[in-house]
Amino acid sequence: MTAPGEFAEFLPAYLAEVDELLASAQRDLLAVEEAVRRGALQPRAVRELFRALHTIKGLSAMVDVEPIVSLAHWMEASLRVADQAGGRLPESSVEPLVEGLRAIEQRVRQLGAGKPASPAPANLLERLEALGPQVVDAAPRKARAVVLDAEAAFASRLAPSEREQLEGGLADGQRAVRLDFVPSAERAAKGLNINTVREGVARHGDIVKVLPLSGAAAGGASLAFALLLLTSAEDAVLLDVVGGAPATVRSLAAAAPVAPDAASPAPVPTDSALGTPVFEEELEEPEVRRGGGLLRVEVSRLDEAMEWLAALVVNRSRLTRAVAALTAAGAPTRELATILQENGRQLRDLRSAILRLRMVRMGDVLERLPLLVRGLRRTTGKAVRLELEVGDAELDKAVADRLMPALVHLVRNAVDHALELPEERVSAGKPPEGLVRLGCHARSSGQLEITLRDDGRGVDAKAVAKAANAPVPESADGLLDLLCRPGLSTRQEATRTSGRGMGMDIVRRIVVEQLGGELRMETRKGVGTTFTLRVPLTVTLVDAIVFECAGLKYAVAVGTVEELIDVDALKVVRPAGADGLGLVERRGAAVPLVSLERLLERTAPAQAAGACGTKALIVRQRGEPVAFAVDRLLGQQEIVLRPLEDPLVRVPGVAGATDLGDGQPTLVLDLGALGAARVGRGVGAAQSGGWAS
Amino acid sequence: MPEVLVVDDSKVMREMVVACLRPYPDSRFTQASSGLEAIEQLTLKAYDLLVLDLNMPDIGGIEVVEFVRGQDQLRSLPIIIVTTRGDEASRERALQAGASLFMTKPFTPDSLQGAARSLLEKAPAKALDEAPRG
Repeated sequence: MTAPGEFAEFLPAYLAEVDELLASAQRDLLAVEEAVRRGALQPRAVRELFRALHTIKGLSAMVDVEPIVSLAHWMEASLRVADQAGGRLPESSVEPLVEGLRAIEQRVRQLGAGKPASPAPANLLERLEALGPQVVDAAPRKARAVVLDAEAAFASRLAPSEREQLEGGLADGQRAVRLDFVPSAERAAKGLNINTVREGVARHGDIVKVLPLSGAAAGGASLAFALLLLTSAEDAVLLDVVGGAPATVRSLAAAAPVAPDAASPAPVPTDSALGTPVFEEELEEPEVRRGGGLLRVEVSRLDEAMEWLAALVVNRSRLTRAVAALTAAGAPTRELATILQENGRQLRDLRSAILRLRMVRMGDVLERLPLLVRGLRRTTGKAVRLELEVGDAELDKAVADRLMPALVHLVRNAVDHALELPEERVSAGKPPEGLVRLGCHARSSGQLEITLRDDGRGVDAKAVAKAANAPVPESADGLLDLLCRPGLSTRQEATRTSGRGMGMDIVRRIVVEQLGGELRMETRKGVGTTFTLRVPLTVTLVDAIVFECAGLKYAVAVGTVEELIDVDALKVVRPAGADGLGLVERRGAAVPLVSLERLLERTAPAQAAGACGTKALIVRQRGEPVAFAVDRLLGQQEIVLRPLEDPLVRVPGVAGATDLGDGQPTLVLDLGALGAARVGRGVGAAQSGGWAS
Repeated sequence: MPEVLVVDDSKVMREMVVACLRPYPDSRFTQASSGLEAIEQLTLKAYDLLVLDLNMPDIGGIEVVEFVRGQDQLRSLPIIIVTTRGDEASRERALQAGASLFMTKPFTPDSLQGAARSLLEKAPAKALDEAPRG
């Protein structure tokens, strides 16, 4: 085994890659399950799933995460068998595999949170291990009347499933062709290589197989790639994609069909085949790996770009002022002004381009919901269909991360509480299968509207009122208010799925208080309930220091604070007549000490005269440090900064508000601006005691 | 300055291999994420060492080894197979196809670096470069 820690620095990259692999594995497993239920085959999904687990196993071994290695190992083993059987997976294998993926995911989360991965559950490992040697029945292969030109198609190098795919396409009236691409250094320099060729060709058909051919290429080249594909595109189009001559296209259909007995049934794995390992090259996959054009970027790097942009914006306003001064002095600045205007537009475009980088597709964000609903189907015994209509809506990653737990809760609630059991539904004249439908629409107001509808029993206003010990509300809004009361439950006992999770109060807090959005509900008894969430497409995230002053919590952006110091009340010098304005010593220099308590007018001046916090935040104001005394530091955390939109509330020194998770709005202070108010009024004002007003 | 081609469909894995070999004097690295990409790279540029995964999305490592050994100018290219499949049959098959060394994940930085050193220091450098001169 690896000595622990040798590859520890790769842990973040490892977690990101495994996360990606898990997401695609979950998609593939759902596709496989769906196919199993229909009695169909999904050989490609089985193979992808196998490969994802194989990669997870190898990577986990490198970073020495033994529990994930064991889980992935046994899952991989059962999938190898299924892959050899042409994608035939017994239905009984699906559930342990789902649990296995979940167990891996849990351990990835633990590692991500800086904890060690807990051991793999022994009973799950046993069940996965038992999946290994199951033999599945092979469906008989259809004999086809069409046959491949064996020489052109390198029939001996094709797997039975690949051959079947090509013949099936031919039988369905598609063209099966062999397209030869000849790589060269010149072509590679122009961006034409086997990867880009595969991507390009995949847009015009299904690539079944790619074979490297050496020494056989036209034009004396030593290498050519033969792409075998099913397509409806013209030869000229295909040739164009691979850069023209010396590329060639030829048909794979044999001149005359021969007897169908050439298509012998696919070999079914026997016990002896299961005992011997399969070599990797037999597990080929003609498909270009998903996500090829995507790049993972740490959000902090985007933030960094945003900070540089902010510096540019500040610089631009200095430039604008300088130009204005020149204009005032009578200089010819017309051209400069035009350039400045253009510059302003470019900065705005750059800003929106950077913001767009943070956007994630809702389709990707929601890809775990089908798995969640699948689990709920099992635990609740209800028949549910989940419909996602997300289109191409996008959302800031920070918003999506915060929103997801709320959506998960609403979906759980819908299945667990709102939908009736199948027999109950039938007797109410509904189809036995319940429907949960989630739709997303971007609004022009910079908001995303998400609707979650179920066709269940509707919210029973009377029961809710009784549980809340309140009168029956008359409006849907009133009913939602009751539902969102902390701790409200209409159930006698917590249910297995929704019971211990968050309540509606948390959903509302996330949507309304954290994200500054809206939550509405419509419900009709016996017909169903629709929740409508509106959230901003993007939010401002700030690393903040949270502190307490005169019994209230405040936050201040970390970036604005130069230093945190302890204040010894006995050492504070208070010049006569300064009315509470003291001086503290910091590395030999006197720094003005301002009582934030007084600045915010939290106490009367008489009481404040002697009062002094034990800590102070040092903020630089016009180059000079100023210390703001506070009562207690509570820590540092990332907050969602919500600007105060209402002009009546907007005051200098207050950057906005946030929700720290306690449900109370917390002011985010801009101490620099607060200090500016003080300095702006000068020493005279301080001496008169009026600076804090 | 040894040119090394690192082939693995996992980006993290490629980075780990590069990190292990980086201390080897002046080595330069090219990465490929699939067997086909590796074959293309090998015909376009001369390499001194190939570090190869077995299980990849398009064509597997064994097939890459077979291709390499089928090329006159690549016949002596040292190949290290790095794989999660550590069974004897895989090892035998890889070595039979012409791989120089077979390593199982997880490996230590030292073991991979030692393997690379032993191959690079006895191998004739850059067959492709030398062919026209010789």
